[in-house]
Amino acid sequence: MAYSQRPHGDPGLQPERTSLAWGRTMMALVTVSAIFLRWLPVHGLPILLLFAVSSAAALAIYLTQRRRYGASSRGIHEERVDADVRSVLWTAFAAVMLGGLGIGVVLVG
Amino acid sequence: MTNSERAPRKPAPPSRGKIAERLLPGGEEPDPRFTLANERTFLAWIRTSLALLAGGIAIEAFTSDLFLEPVRKGLAVVLLLLGMLLSAGAAVRWLRVERSMRNKAPLPLPLIVPLLAGAGALAAAVVLVFILWR
Repeated sequence: MAYSQRPHGDPGLQPERTSLAWGRTMMALVTVSAIFLRWLPVHGLPILLLFAVSSAAALAIYLTQRRRYGASSRGIHEERVDADVRSVLWTAFAAVMLGGLGIGVVLVG
Repeated sequence: MTNSERAPRKPAPPSRGKIAERLLPGGEEPDPRFTLANERTFLAWIRTSLALLAGGIAIEAFTSDLFLEPVRKGLAVVLLLLGMLLSAGAAVRWLRVERSMRNKAPLPLPLIVPLLAGAGALAAAVVLVFILWR
């Protein structure tokens, strides 16, 4: 895909690397969702809660990738990137939720 | 503090949004490359904690004929707890690093590094003892 105009001039490709890091995290969440489903017969229905949280988080990353890449390449171009507090806090919140729900499933199930 | 003698040359910076202005107050916008690098480091920690969470859930089923139930549950809870602490710690560290960069202060020491190392060593020791004395 060729851009008629390059979105940014950063030779270190920081926006691309950051976008790929989000993509890896999304894939990790998809993998983790699959692992949760795999142990459905052992842990029972409550594990579906963990599956729901991790796949929702993966979907949320997928749907916001374009916005984040746009913001960071524009930011590199303008030498000013606003810290993405929202994405960071939501991602951490989802992971903490997974841990809490997981402890519940292990202790109760 | 007055700014009257040094009139700002740049126009007022655009709003960064309510949450960002509350959690990351004051200072100046750091180099955008540093902000993105900080974000990637946070994501690497999140992936580490996801691995621990998946391991915690899987250990119970994987090892049902190897470990006694209390050991199995204990290890699972340790892994899940560690995953939780690491992901919360990663968000806190991301905020602290972002604040230090805004204020051009030295970066804080990562508390989650000794946490991960210590808990990893502890879990390995538990498994080792259990396997040797079984």
